[in-house]
Amino acid sequence: MFQTVAILAFLLTFIGIAVHWFLTSAAGARCPLVGGVHVFSLLLIEQRASLLGALKKLCYLVAAVCFLVLAITGFWPTLVRGEHISGFLMYIHATFAPIFALCLAILALTWAGSNRFVAADCPWLQRLLRRVTHLRIPADNRPWRCSLVVYKLAFWAILFLSLPLILSIVVSMFHLLGTDWQHLTLALHRWTSLVFAIAVIVHTYLAIRLRMTSAI
Amino acid sequence: MVVVSSALSSPLVAAEGATMLLGDESDGSRAQPLHVISLYAEDDKGEKGSQIDPNDPLALPFSTRFTCGECHSYGTISGGWHFNAVDGNVPAGRPGEPWLYFNSKLGIQLPLSYRRWPGVYRPEEFRLSPSEFTKIFGRHMPGGGPGEVTPTETEALAEQYVSGKLEVNCLACHNAHPAQDQGGAAGYAIQVSKTNFRWAAAASCEFADVTGSVTDADPTYDPFMPDESETKAPRTIYDKKAFDAAGNVFMDIVREAPEERCYFCHSDLFCGEKGEKTEKWLADEDIHMTAGLTCVDCHRNGLGHNIIRGYDGEAVDYGNPLAATTSCRGCHLGDEKGNRMTGGRLGAPVPEHKGIPTVHFERLACTACHSGPWPGDRPVLAKTSRAHRLGTINVNKEVRVLPHVYAPVFIKEAVADANGTAQIAPHKLVWPAFWGTLDANDCVKPIGLPVVTKMVGAVLKDVAVAETGDWSELKEEQVAQALKALADAGQAQPVYVTGGTLFRLKEDGSLTSDKDHPAAAAYAWPVAHNVRPAAQSLGVGSGNRGCTVCHSTKSPFFFGKVAVDSPVVSVSNLTKTQYQFQRAPHARTWVFAMSFIFRPWFKVIAIGASAVIGIVLLLYGLRALGAVAKVLSERE
Repeated sequence: MFQTVAILAFLLTFIGIAVHWFLTSAAGARCPLVGGVHVFSLLLIEQRASLLGALKKLCYLVAAVCFLVLAITGFWPTLVRGEHISGFLMYIHATFAPIFALCLAILALTWAGSNRFVAADCPWLQRLLRRVTHLRIPADNRPWRCSLVVYKLAFWAILFLSLPLILSIVVSMFHLLGTDWQHLTLALHRWTSLVFAIAVIVHTYLAIRLRMTSAI
Repeated sequence: MVVVSSALSSPLVAAEGATMLLGDESDGSRAQPLHVISLYAEDDKGEKGSQIDPNDPLALPFSTRFTCGECHSYGTISGGWHFNAVDGNVPAGRPGEPWLYFNSKLGIQLPLSYRRWPGVYRPEEFRLSPSEFTKIFGRHMPGGGPGEVTPTETEALAEQYVSGKLEVNCLACHNAHPAQDQGGAAGYAIQVSKTNFRWAAAASCEFADVTGSVTDADPTYDPFMPDESETKAPRTIYDKKAFDAAGNVFMDIVREAPEERCYFCHSDLFCGEKGEKTEKWLADEDIHMTAGLTCVDCHRNGLGHNIIRGYDGEAVDYGNPLAATTSCRGCHLGDEKGNRMTGGRLGAPVPEHKGIPTVHFERLACTACHSGPWPGDRPVLAKTSRAHRLGTINVNKEVRVLPHVYAPVFIKEAVADANGTAQIAPHKLVWPAFWGTLDANDCVKPIGLPVVTKMVGAVLKDVAVAETGDWSELKEEQVAQALKALADAGQAQPVYVTGGTLFRLKEDGSLTSDKDHPAAAAYAWPVAHNVRPAAQSLGVGSGNRGCTVCHSTKSPFFFGKVAVDSPVVSVSNLTKTQYQFQRAPHARTWVFAMSFIFRPWFKVIAIGASAVIGIVLLLYGLRALGAVAKVLSERE
């Protein structure tokens, strides 16, 4: 069942991204090649030349690479071969996992502040709350920046999901859980990783799009 | 219930599938039936003879077929697992311990079995007739099987007329009397070795002695018309005090065989890691026995005596659903379909296996962690009852006595389980050594013992026999000479198989060898006992007793050295590594083992990162909550 659900989920995600890409306008060229070079330069060349900024970007890149490796080594045997991860794929997966965890922790510390939800993110919510609760909530009529909200939501989803993702494996390494619970934590890791991967894909896509529109 | 043989008894030896005899079906009482019964011999026509008269100096031995068969369907019972090896229709099931024929001087150590297990050889391939096979190995057989095969050759028939058939010896398992003699100076094993097949069961019981032997008797000896002057022929002497006025005798027969009976054929002794002798008191009994179970609590059978062997998948092999609930998983975890309702039988604890990743239960049999000797740097020499004649007289107790059986060797089983996964399990392993012929398909058939004894024996006549019972050392030149002798005797493509290597002669007559030839592969059979207590399982505990018991670059489980056993000097120095038997590549195995050094760091980093992320989530979550609270408080 996981194989089927995962394949469908990834397909839907990529189709959604493709639809969003073509339907929404974005600054910059639509040509994939030129767009790709643009994205590449955005990712590799720090726009603000400070040490912290460079380190943050480096951390992001390392996390991205780790995620790619983890996603491929984790999903390839399951989705393509229909079997559990094992052998060298598992060794690679287990090698990149702690690095990824570390990068996530650093990104959490460094990016959380800029990903706080502010009132301007969702004016329609402010207006709704004001109407419903009659509280004196400041509201304005600025247009809603959906992509930014989803981007931030994706960020917090990533952080939130990273906890069960990491802990489901770490806890199984201690003499705490019996076989039934081990099955459960493995299933938790599997399903969490699916949702996590989708959140990362969405977050990465939106990061690129928002960068291209200079929204972030 | 008192069972007294009388004229009111049901028909003797009911035909299979016909009327059930008195003892075929239990009435449900768990009390032991009292056996005060008449003894009957077999007559010269192979039918039920007269009742045994203990006062007759020339009395025949009683026949279990006609004595026990009075109330228990002998035909049905003799189809059971312990007796049906010669029946080609019986599924062979999981490979088991073979009979090991060895001759140190001739360089032979050959696994034989009538069962069609891959890697064993049939006795007829080795030119051993059922009678010869029984004479050599019947010491640790409960009778039946090859002992009851009727030969077709006239000469063999005549021999069997005198020696009798080795009937199923019910007493070997079911006689609870402490004087049941399987291995003593005049007991069952000795009688079999003297070809006293007809007398063996009687000799084993507590109220009969047997003197003389068929092999020493006059060639004209007729057991059914014995002559008092025949002093060397077999003679049965009954203890008259054991018989009552009616000529009946009390036999302490129990339904559930005591473990001592099983131990006679199923004992193990594992030698020390450094090759030193060990003794029974240094090793613990199987934990199940310590817990109060007996062998037959798990290894059960009905009238058919198709005793449960106790391995996963047995229910499928033999169509016996009871077997599914009596394997390790069946008892401790519920049956193999995952029905937990049947788990916990006989007080079996349900294991939690805390901290063990579930992949272990797919890749490893239960016995990998729980059974056999604790794995050392090298598998040790193991002695078994059937291979080393344990429990009989004049046993050579030297450590290196042949045959050389090594244990534990962790092997990925050739046959996948019901889920299609081949599991790693501990095995006993023997390196076959024998003279054979190579056919066009690169398969080797053993050359018959008479030919080998004659041709190879002549070449190796000056080879010294080791007092320890170990191999007599052979040089390659001697192997070449022996192969040439076999070729000259008309054997096409003679070869010598030993230690995984196949020696043969090239066209120019020089010797060449093929290392790791498939036809020379070791034969191994799974080890199930002795089961160690849970606290002594692999992977239990922390530190050196935890994961790194197996997952380290020095772990015996993966990197232990398995000696290659051979009389040929150039081969006996070789070793193999455990992972080779698990069909695991060296690089992958080593990398995985080495990675466990970093496991503690993995945990620290992962937990630390999770803590940081958790704190960030908490912090910003509280801030969000604070913002909401602030908005709500402005109402006031």
